[in-house]
Amino acid sequence: VSANWKPGEPVVLDTAHYLVRSMKPEDVTEDYLAWTKDEEIMYGVNSAPGRMTMADLHRYVAKFNNRTSFHLGIFVKETGRLIGFYSIYWERRHNIAGTNVVVGDRAYWGKNVVLETRAAIIDFLFDRLKVAKVWGSPMARNIPSVFNYRAQGFKAEGVLKRHRVSPKGERLDQIMFGLFPEDWRKAKEAKRR
Amino acid sequence: MTTAERARHLLAAALEIDPALVGPDAAIGTLEAWDSLAHLRLMQAIEQAIGAELPAESIVEIASLADVAAVLERKGG
Repeated sequence: VSANWKPGEPVVLDTAHYLVRSMKPEDVTEDYLAWTKDEEIMYGVNSAPGRMTMADLHRYVAKFNNRTSFHLGIFVKETGRLIGFYSIYWERRHNIAGTNVVVGDRAYWGKNVVLETRAAIIDFLFDRLKVAKVWGSPMARNIPSVFNYRAQGFKAEGVLKRHRVSPKGERLDQIMFGLFPEDWRKAKEAKRR
Repeated sequence: MTTAERARHLLAAALEIDPALVGPDAAIGTLEAWDSLAHLRLMQAIEQAIGAELPAESIVEIASLADVAAVLERKGG
């Protein structure tokens, strides 16, 4: 992240293969719109395909303030192509931050995009925002997501049984994952070894 | 074949690598081939082996070869 980033300014995170940066309404592509209407992609975030229009998406992206809420696009460095996005919410009172991610471009599934990009986001959250904890809550059957949390050192703090309803009407278990700064340090050290 | 050997073969197949490359300490983060899609294949293979859907607690637990063996042992896979 830019060394002199200030709250309210766009966030720019540079990883080996991607640029993860605050999205502007004009960054929304037809691909992004198509992801919101794609059953398989939306299933990953336990949502039904939406009926959003480009104008709706522009308004949605504009509401993130880069202070306590961030909507970060994942852009392939080599091509500039948008392949997914994060929504991040920082609860100031409790000083915890939650991340949600969608990798919409199927060509990038199974390529460790989340591991690479969320690592930079976690660094930003712990090092710049000084959050006390990062958390996430995937559906238990979202195996790739569960894998990503485990691989980054998140600990499962509990299973919420039949806690959510899927777009198909099934009741789903949800897993609560948490990551503390010391867990993150350990995970990074283990990766270096 | 022992449960430990079955677990090793099952993991190797999910990771699409030679079983000889799966050491006793194999775990997420120790094998490059163990990525999110390989993990999905692994869960599907375990469920096929035990003939049942894994509960959320087991899905969360599995992060190493030893964990795979433990689930197979417990569930009779």
